Amino acid sequence: MKNKMRVLWLSAIACNGNTHAFLNYPYMEQFLDDFEFIYHPVIDSEYSLEDIVSKEIPCDILLIEGAISKEFQRADVSVVDIIEKYSKIVQKIVTVGTCATFGGIFRESGYEETSGMHFDQDKPSQKFQDLIDKTISVSGCPVHPEVLVNTLYAIKKNAALKLDNFLRPKEFYAYTIHNGCTRNEYFEYKVDNHQFGKLEGCMFYDHGCQAPFTHGSCNKILWNEINSKTRAGLSCMGCTEPTFPRQNLFSTKKNMAIPENLPVGVGKRVYLTLAGISKAFKIDRLEKKLIDD
Amino acid sequence: MLDKKQLKKEQIMQSALELFASKGFYSTTIPDIALSLKMSVGNMYNYFKSKDVLAREIIKYISEYLGKKLREINEEDISTKEKTRKIIEEYFKTASLKPEMIDYFLRIYLSNREVFKDGCEGMICVNEFVTEIMIYFEEGVKCKDLREQDFFSAFGLFMGYLGGMVFLKGENVLPKDLNDYVDDITFNIYKALSTE
Amino acid sequence: MIKLIEKIEGEAKLNFNFKDNKIDFVDIEFMSTRNIENILRGKNAFDALVINPRVCGICGHAHLIATVQALEDCYDNLELSNKAKIIRELTLNFELIQNHFKWYYLTMLPLFGHKQQVLKATFPSQLMGKAIALFGGQYPHTSYAIVGGVVCEITEIDIIKLQHYIAQTIKFVEDNLVKTDSENFLTCKDADVLLDYEGDLPDILRQIKKEELLEYGKSYDRFISFGENSYFKKGKSLKTKVSHNISVEHVKESEMPSSFAKNVSFKDKYYEVGPLARAMVNKTPLIADAHKKYGDSIFSRILARVCEISQLLEHSKKLIKDLDLSEESYIEPSIDISQLNSSGYSAVEAARGTLIHKVEIENGIIKNYEIITPTQWNLSGGTKDKLGVSQKAMIGLSDIKTAELVFKSFDVCSVCTTH
Repeated sequence: MKNKMRVLWLSAIACNGNTHAFLNYPYMEQFLDDFEFIYHPVIDSEYSLEDIVSKEIPCDILLIEGAISKEFQRADVSVVDIIEKYSKIVQKIVTVGTCATFGGIFRESGYEETSGMHFDQDKPSQKFQDLIDKTISVSGCPVHPEVLVNTLYAIKKNAALKLDNFLRPKEFYAYTIHNGCTRNEYFEYKVDNHQFGKLEGCMFYDHGCQAPFTHGSCNKILWNEINSKTRAGLSCMGCTEPTFPRQNLFSTKKNMAIPENLPVGVGKRVYLTLAGISKAFKIDRLEKKLIDD
Repeated sequence: MLDKKQLKKEQIMQSALELFASKGFYSTTIPDIALSLKMSVGNMYNYFKSKDVLAREIIKYISEYLGKKLREINEEDISTKEKTRKIIEEYFKTASLKPEMIDYFLRIYLSNREVFKDGCEGMICVNEFVTEIMIYFEEGVKCKDLREQDFFSAFGLFMGYLGGMVFLKGENVLPKDLNDYVDDITFNIYKALSTE
Repeated sequence: MIKLIEKIEGEAKLNFNFKDNKIDFVDIEFMSTRNIENILRGKNAFDALVINPRVCGICGHAHLIATVQALEDCYDNLELSNKAKIIRELTLNFELIQNHFKWYYLTMLPLFGHKQQVLKATFPSQLMGKAIALFGGQYPHTSYAIVGGVVCEITEIDIIKLQHYIAQTIKFVEDNLVKTDSENFLTCKDADVLLDYEGDLPDILRQIKKEELLEYGKSYDRFISFGENSYFKKGKSLKTKVSHNISVEHVKESEMPSSFAKNVSFKDKYYEVGPLARAMVNKTPLIADAHKKYGDSIFSRILARVCEISQLLEHSKKLIKDLDLSEESYIEPSIDISQLNSSGYSAVEAARGTLIHKVEIENGIIKNYEIITPTQWNLSGGTKDKLGVSQKAMIGLSDIKTAELVFKSFDVCSVCTTH
């Protein structure tokens, strides 16, 4: 019998999107050989939720999905109390998804002081200060299954993961969603005539794409192993960031036609200078249909 | 060494600008410019391979000059209205101190596009200047002083107005000094662009 | 006696009252809500396309399709290509299929004393996830269906890939669920004939018969289905009498004092929704036969749901043939949403049954949003005088374990119920 890592998957104010995204992990058989859920929202476990809240079941990793509020209960116990109990005994805590990390969509669900575990949007939260050293955040709405699973393997291996300011593994979050998008050339050369329903064009200029200033690996580690939202033609909604969800998600916020949010780390002067130069040229290949007659 | 060569280039451009303004762009030849600087024509070509190259370099030189001035204004911690005024003042100041520069921009760059078609596509050669105008607009809208609109409708209003005034001045039809119009022009431009 | 029902996309509390060792009444309580409708109020209407899939991790795509249709209903004369309609129907089918697999292998099998089959759930549902991601970029939580069409353009190669995902899923069904050519399963008109086949479905059906569970799970024998598309018909079925003339106007939601789940009725009566209801309204021969023999019991309910996997896979193959790739994927609406003061509604068939969205817009901003989920129809608690659908199905059972089986045969989605 192998020594499996014992994992508790706890849902707080959630839609279970991370749970189902996780079920898309392609090598599930191997995963279940290496890890055991003491509780999971869907997968059978040795213990019931009632066992989890009434007893203290030995456990190595605590996974939290969903936004957190003292007022929100599971099996008649506040999720905050459940988190506090298990956080003492586990090696690591992983906040799974954007709600558990920053509050996300369900930050607005109306429960008292709802936020992520360590962050209320981008502001540090005072709640679980003593647990910061134990926590890794894997944000995303939902989290990419490979990001979650490989983070768990890194914990199992005791691999040192470098984390960013929001406790996210840089290995996955140092990139922007823009990296690897098949529509990159339309961005690079400022071909700003995107229309929905086409293979061509970039959604950054008019349709609210947040990929150049959103951290994550969506276009590096593809979704469902085959695609990404921006490749398909849907704008990146910035779902890995503390600001998710912003307002007016399908249109680009512009000031005198200049996008307010620019590629991360790129100064306005640099961006506008390069944009001005690129825009001066007409590149026939990018003006035409990609696959033409 | 480089600085010395750059200095010489700027001297040539300055002389060329003055000659273009007095004799006209097409009537001015490279030998004319060389003569005005007491340089040999051969030596001139070490600096600029052709008159077209010189023409393009001059427009970039002007854009950099104006861009630098506007950047200083953009970086000041003042209201959009004050920035508007300062940009207008700076533009008129340049028109008075270096009339040949604005003259070149308006009469030669904008009306002889064929000279600039290779290497000066779109706004490439006036990038520094346009970028600063963009930043002035962008920041104005962001802090809600200016109204959101298409960039070119705002740019045309601003630069067309200033260019027109300088043009009238150059034709000697303005009864007053350019600076005497700054208050009214600031008022008009700001009123047209602002959210008020 | 109170029992916490777990692993139903959250939990519900069932409070059982026994009389003469039989269940006399069950109070159903859903303990929490996320107030999605409040979150939506005041937001830009198109933002609902991003927020609403997050109602639910397992059937969020149905919420997306319901949202886009409700928003489109706010426009007069909105143009939509046939291609966009087909693509939306396909991705919704794939989500239904994905749900059915997960329900059968993760939820149902353990209730019959078998080991949960995680890999049998994940393998085909991952294929269906890929099929959705091909169009939507990812699954779960895409927002690829927007007012005016879909964001994607698809090519012949995409169609080839899609056909592979479907073929592989059909093969999985033939190798595991019902071990025969899908053609045989789809043309079978006799529920008892199915018992002679090998496979995970016949195994459970035989077990139901052998353990004399055939009477379990019967409720009002009233079915309703509003979500019309190229496969599902709109209508209600009362003791096999089907009428198609029904209107969403007569659907009423009412608050319950003890639970966050609101009750839903049609003309003051409770109706069952879901695969069994759809099959009754569609008059699917195999399900009609099961119903004739075993009524609205767990036998018919389970069979109807698994059968829908094969039906929808087969129908999706036909839909793909109807796709004309030269059509537009998206046609920009002629009116900007910010000019719109209007209201609209939609009804789509989600995995668990009819899902209704209603929206009111003022200058493109959401003034009001209402969501009625399938689980509300089936699982909200009624009163003793007027039992809810699943409540009625549990009355008279003698033990809680069987009651849980009956309850879960409706497939509970707690997050959806209270949203």
